[in-house]
Amino acid sequence: MNSYWQPDIETAAPDTLRAMQLQALRRTLAQAAQSPYYGELFRRLNFSPEQIRTRDDLRRLPFTTKDDLRGHFPYGFLAVPKAETIRLHCSSGTTGNPTVIFHNRHDLDSWANLVARSMYCAGARPDDVFQNICGYGLFTGGLGFQYGAERLGALTIPAGAGNSRRQIKLMQEFGTTVIHAIPSYLPRLREVFTELGLAPAKDTRLRVILSGAEPYTEETRRRLEAMFAPAKVFNSFGLTEMNGPGVAFECDCQNGLHVWEDAYLTEIVNPDTLEPVPDGELGELVFTSLDRQAMPILRYRTRDLTRFLTGPCPCGRTHRRLDRITGRSDDMFIIKGCNVFPMQIEQVLMRIPQAASDYLIVLETLGDNDELILQVEAHPEWFNGDFSKLEHVRQRIVREIHDEVLVTPIVQLVEPGSLPRAEGKAKRVDDRRRNGKTDF
Amino acid sequence: MAHQVSVFVENKPGRLEKVTGALGQAGINIRAMTLNSSSGGWGVLNLLVNHPAAAKDALSAAGFLTALHEIVVVEMTDQPGGLHEVVSLLARAGLNVENAYGTVLQNGRSAILVINVEKVAHAREILAAAGVRTLEDDAIYAI
Ligand SMILES: [Zn+2]
Repeated sequence: MNSYWQPDIETAAPDTLRAMQLQALRRTLAQAAQSPYYGELFRRLNFSPEQIRTRDDLRRLPFTTKDDLRGHFPYGFLAVPKAETIRLHCSSGTTGNPTVIFHNRHDLDSWANLVARSMYCAGARPDDVFQNICGYGLFTGGLGFQYGAERLGALTIPAGAGNSRRQIKLMQEFGTTVIHAIPSYLPRLREVFTELGLAPAKDTRLRVILSGAEPYTEETRRRLEAMFAPAKVFNSFGLTEMNGPGVAFECDCQNGLHVWEDAYLTEIVNPDTLEPVPDGELGELVFTSLDRQAMPILRYRTRDLTRFLTGPCPCGRTHRRLDRITGRSDDMFIIKGCNVFPMQIEQVLMRIPQAASDYLIVLETLGDNDELILQVEAHPEWFNGDFSKLEHVRQRIVREIHDEVLVTPIVQLVEPGSLPRAEGKAKRVDDRRRNGKTDF
Repeated sequence: MAHQVSVFVENKPGRLEKVTGALGQAGINIRAMTLNSSSGGWGVLNLLVNHPAAAKDALSAAGFLTALHEIVVVEMTDQPGGLHEVVSLLARAGLNVENAYGTVLQNGRSAILVINVEKVAHAREILAAAGVRTLEDDAIYAI
């Protein structure tokens, strides 16, 4: 039996949902016009919010980028009197102005409800004990989940990040059933269980793990679930510019993230042409906030890549589903007329048993043609001395890359340790083409 | 049992030299070598040496992807059809011969046939039953 936090909204018929969106969009545009940035933009374009007849009319407006937000730091996007705001969050930036987002009471109320809805969607209930294992402060995962869990009615433990032994002690003492943590922390937490001679299954009552803020693969989810069985791991998605967590969330079916369409108008566009892509095709996520007063943001380019999943979800929610984030549009390159994202190549390599994680994509002009050359470090597991075994691995990589990106690559196996490694993060694309370089 | 040392090498200048250099420094003699080359810019170098295990260690230490690979080695006789006869014996038994190559040892007088075949132990039994003598590591290096 399916149950919902807000059944009317979550299972609304698509037409009803679209009508709700249009109404909220008009309200949002009128509100945005109050901000210095959008007020000036609307005047320059001779645009008035009443001109909006359909959701598609929004495309008459330009995108908003992170640079726009930074360039009008700190108050250029503020659409209410400063005295009305009650909280700000910043998104991390290592250079230049940070991105700052202001909230008034309505905004925080709306956000808390979206997080409560998200948690409920993943199976959390008012009688759960929720431990929020992540940083508080400017990072939205702390307070965002705190207020959401309180709205849900769960007993909430604001544990904060780190100190794994204490986390486990809290989980045991208060019978924690639901946690929120970033995916990269979970293996560490599991190790400490082992160090203490404990196991989640017998020593805790953990059943739901909410995890997001960093992209992770389906394989990683399954690995995490094996570590914390019988608890299930649910994918959480959000970004500071759109409040934080609670933008899109997985339901019990674990088959994509329902994006809350009453609160966010979602577009997926080709990062090159900026035209909408057909459903099911990979592109860049673009969001318009639909229920924010202090700082509405229109057509915000997230740089995150994903696709709409088609077809209804068995859970009965009608809000469309997003696939997990598969990379950043900044990394995209174009070769032989196809858009390719390094993450697609990486996913193919991940499917090959014992795939070496070290690879380099070289774009090079050979003769008259630009070629996609993929150099992959040969993995010791692939090599038992057989020439043909290695050659089969190489041909499999060629075939699977072609199936994924529709470009036949030249795959070169190289000696282990021979590819360049940049500080911390490996360099993935080396564009040596004569013409048509793309910006990364 | 006989082994060859198989080394993954990129097809670029200086790699072969680095292999022979690493083996020379470790005091290992190379009796024979062949290279299987892929269009993908790499190949597998097969080496017959006097101390296969030590050779593998020396090459691994030099950063090469290296494996000891079991092989069947037959000393070539002057009889015509020798190669064909051996390979057909194995094929009739349903064993897949990955490749086979004849190579003249460095003494210049003896030739051997090196056969890369699946299920080496089984292959040796079949050859033994047919009266074909296979060589052990020691015997190859003693030639
Ligand atoms: Zn669902």
